[in-house]
Amino acid sequence: MDRFFSNKKAIFLFAAPALVLFTLMIFYPLLQVIYGSFFEYKGLNPDIFAWFDNYKRLFQDKLFYTSVKNGLIFAAVITVYQILLATILAFAVSNAKVRGRSFFRVVYFIPVVLSVTVVCQLWLSVFNEQNGLLNRFFEMIGMEYSQGWLSDRHQAIYPISFTNAWQYMGYHFALLLAGIKSIPKSYYEAAKIDGASNFKAHMRITVPLLQETYKFSLIMAVTGGLNAFTQMMIMNSGGPGTATYTLTYMMLRAINKTYEFGYGMSAAVFLVIECLIATIFINKIIAKERIVY
Amino acid sequence: MMTSNAKKLTVSDIIYKVFLWVYALISLYPLIWMAFNSFKNNNEIFESNPFGIPTVLRIENYTNALSQYNVPRYFVNSLVVSIVTVALTIILGLMFSYATARMKWKFQGVAKVYVAMGMFIPIQALFIPIFLLINDMNLSNTYFSLILPYTAFNLAFTTLVFYGFLRGIPIELEEAACIDGAGIFRTFFSIIVPTVKPAIATLIIFTFLQAWNEFPLALVLISEESMKTLPLGILFFQGSFSTEWGPMAATMVIASLPTVLIYILFSSQVEKAMTIGGAVKG
Amino acid sequence: MKKMMKQILAVLLVTVMIVPLAGCGSNGNSTDDNSSSNSDNQVTDTNDNDNNVVEDNNGSEDEVITLKIYAQYSDDDTKIPYDYAVQELAKEYPNVKLELDVQAQDDGQKLQTYAATGKLPDIFQIGLSQINAFKESGNILVLDDYVKSTGFEDKLNEANKNLLYVDDGHAYAFPYAGNEMVLWYYNKALFEQHNVKVPETYDELLEAVEKFNEVDIVPLSVFAKEKWICVALYDAFATRLEPKGVLKLDKGEASAEEPAYVEAATKLQALVEAGLLAKGATNMNYDQSRALFYEGKAAMFLNGQWEIEDSTNALGENADWMWYPTYAENPDAKYAVSGSGAPGGYAVSPYSEHKDLAAEVAAFIALKYAEAKYIYRSNPILAAKIDPSWEPEKEMSPMMQKLVDELDNITSYSVFDWGLSNPKVKVALEDQAQFILTPGYTAEEFTEALDSEMKRIFE
Repeated sequence: MDRFFSNKKAIFLFAAPALVLFTLMIFYPLLQVIYGSFFEYKGLNPDIFAWFDNYKRLFQDKLFYTSVKNGLIFAAVITVYQILLATILAFAVSNAKVRGRSFFRVVYFIPVVLSVTVVCQLWLSVFNEQNGLLNRFFEMIGMEYSQGWLSDRHQAIYPISFTNAWQYMGYHFALLLAGIKSIPKSYYEAAKIDGASNFKAHMRITVPLLQETYKFSLIMAVTGGLNAFTQMMIMNSGGPGTATYTLTYMMLRAINKTYEFGYGMSAAVFLVIECLIATIFINKIIAKERIVY
Repeated sequence: MMTSNAKKLTVSDIIYKVFLWVYALISLYPLIWMAFNSFKNNNEIFESNPFGIPTVLRIENYTNALSQYNVPRYFVNSLVVSIVTVALTIILGLMFSYATARMKWKFQGVAKVYVAMGMFIPIQALFIPIFLLINDMNLSNTYFSLILPYTAFNLAFTTLVFYGFLRGIPIELEEAACIDGAGIFRTFFSIIVPTVKPAIATLIIFTFLQAWNEFPLALVLISEESMKTLPLGILFFQGSFSTEWGPMAATMVIASLPTVLIYILFSSQVEKAMTIGGAVKG
Repeated sequence: MKKMMKQILAVLLVTVMIVPLAGCGSNGNSTDDNSSSNSDNQVTDTNDNDNNVVEDNNGSEDEVITLKIYAQYSDDDTKIPYDYAVQELAKEYPNVKLELDVQAQDDGQKLQTYAATGKLPDIFQIGLSQINAFKESGNILVLDDYVKSTGFEDKLNEANKNLLYVDDGHAYAFPYAGNEMVLWYYNKALFEQHNVKVPETYDELLEAVEKFNEVDIVPLSVFAKEKWICVALYDAFATRLEPKGVLKLDKGEASAEEPAYVEAATKLQALVEAGLLAKGATNMNYDQSRALFYEGKAAMFLNGQWEIEDSTNALGENADWMWYPTYAENPDAKYAVSGSGAPGGYAVSPYSEHKDLAAEVAAFIALKYAEAKYIYRSNPILAAKIDPSWEPEKEMSPMMQKLVDELDNITSYSVFDWGLSNPKVKVALEDQAQFILTPGYTAEEFTEALDSEMKRIFE
């Protein structure tokens, strides 16, 4: 049996492709990003070793702080929205007494399967100042609340974050719903006998038991938020001005517009570190031990 | 005591129910609105009938949209990229996980952690070197310029899922095969692959959605019109149609319909798949 | 070493990929890369008139020379001038035949590839950024002598010499397009109806803004989602005190703290606060913004002179344009406009077998382009002087006629956003120019941000 499992040729054939691809496409680029962040580039090549100049500039750059702040806001909005709503909706839909459950299950997930560009365009039309659904709605009910959703430099980040939150809420919803289904019914029955309400039962059973799922969801939402880019790019090009820039946007601007590759890479390194800290932090706060009811 | 409790339940039930319907509306109405608009002209959208069901079906919005844009082409590109990415990710991921979870070699632990590291590295951060690498490899504007990085990035999650799954399979399965004289490859294909089918189903869905919706990297790597994927290709119709909302909405419907239909057909599969996805240790 | 490692990895990877892929049958798709689409574009122009062929067959003294030309040929605006030039060429140079390679819409990548592989066509269309790259690599012929010998230079307006010579004082391409400019359009009817004076000064503009706001009309429609038009609007104000406008910032010749630039931001911000623009203007695209103007919901509109035709079609005789309002302290700025052209046009390969002839032909084509654009496209924005004998096919619209009449009054051009040569200045300016169009953004913020970026860039 040992010979069976230590077949050198088989190990190589099985492990090598993934290792090579991963090294080539992720590990090697990661090293390059770190390496490149210490250089000033000339064209596509590192030219002058600049020590920490790129980082110094990064920490002096107002745009950097705007970008980090927007990343954090984006992450906070989508995390709260997605996880909170996914939890509430999953609790409700898992309740056998609720009618139309299969309808809700499908409907809540549908935005996830749409193309991200379509979703952005869709919400762009909804938020449109002149003719958008939202402003027309406020008009219709006679409220003076119509406003420039995407052109206000202090507010624009929120509708943009919402667009992402709306699209991917279903993802977390489906994860939680599936998790709830995997919990034996008897746990809930025991809780009911104790007189707990449906909601309380979920808080006492589902949430602790689905820690791993929540952890996964949290990491996805938070790192997804820190990496945000697509929505701002499509919906208002990071504008007005640079009001909705994020780190990824900064990086792309360094590649496409100002041709400062080294500087862009220093922003990239910061992004990696930020995501790493977030992941470690989430892993730390969500305790490993499971509470058994 | 009992009655008050029962009453409380119904109140919260009602709130719950209302909430469920309201959120269903928020999830669906933008889509319905888009579908309605796709059959209207500007006057109907803005003046005569902004919210209701279209009175006249203006099919010409669709014919205009189709003739103006390469939507079918983008769709095919997205499909090819996503399918090949899914296939490659699953093949490479399963083989690799088998090697780390089951077989015995010196660096199997290190290798496993090494690839799992991908979970924590944001793909966006690696744009610049990937962009340069793809150029160096002469892969610019090919399907592989997207497939290779997409596969690499999905490997981490895939190997985690497979690893957990393979560890849960009793070793007796392979022992029996081994005693029957089957080699490792035959065992792998005839025993392991069928056993991990549920995990494969999960990963197909996860990976497909990832690849299908990926935008930033495609933006950086694809410049040629004929190679654009759906998210990238339809990015620019916004400017060209924005005064004619009907055809714009029609384009969005065309771009969305296939995936929505596919999802509705396979939704129960998706839900099953999520169970495993959620059980992964992050 | 690094390169080698990359190659080894690449080879390994490819080998590894082939094994699993063989089974899934999808890898064929990756092979249809750009090579196939390029050959589709290759249109061999069979413009040879019969004489030409006959001469060739008879083996007469004039041997037919084929020149390869790389040019735009995709829509009426590029096809008509090309066809016209070819037709005229056949009369003037019966022994020259052109073989057209249609320019790809790829930011010059194909041309770059031609240069790198030593396959440059004899004549090619080129823009400024590529001229700069090509002159460094020696892939473009210096045309200084030909400009004189062909008499090309004499056929240009004095103000248009900026289109011929690049910063180093040499000519590398024969231009045909002229200096373009931002025009300030307005709807006559709305001004009359609401009894508003067409503003000539900043104060009058402010007054107009207030009046239009009272009647719920957007004073100025700007598609400020596009950053270039934000820069253009800012530049329109900057040129009130500094004729070169943002061009000086681009070259590092002026500081953002100079009065021309601070004043422009201050005045613009004051106008925005007063309600100059539509709500949410920074999220409004071209179509939306244009629609406001065309539907009579906006009194003024900002775009290049290329909008003349469309706005005439939409508003008829109510459409007009005005000079940008001036500041009271400097009324002379009236004829300073925002915009410009850039050197570019038909260039010649230094490796051409017939470079003298190619240069002559390139100059000839550039002139014929201008002629065709005036006659068939009613476009007076040309590098070459307008010859009185040219008769436009269609009567020019009043706005266009006004432009043709006033063209000689223009005292200076600044630059368009896309003509800015320093990408870092360009980006900083674009961001700030869009910011200043949002309510609540102060001129101090604008100046501080732009100035600190400029100091860093030019330190």
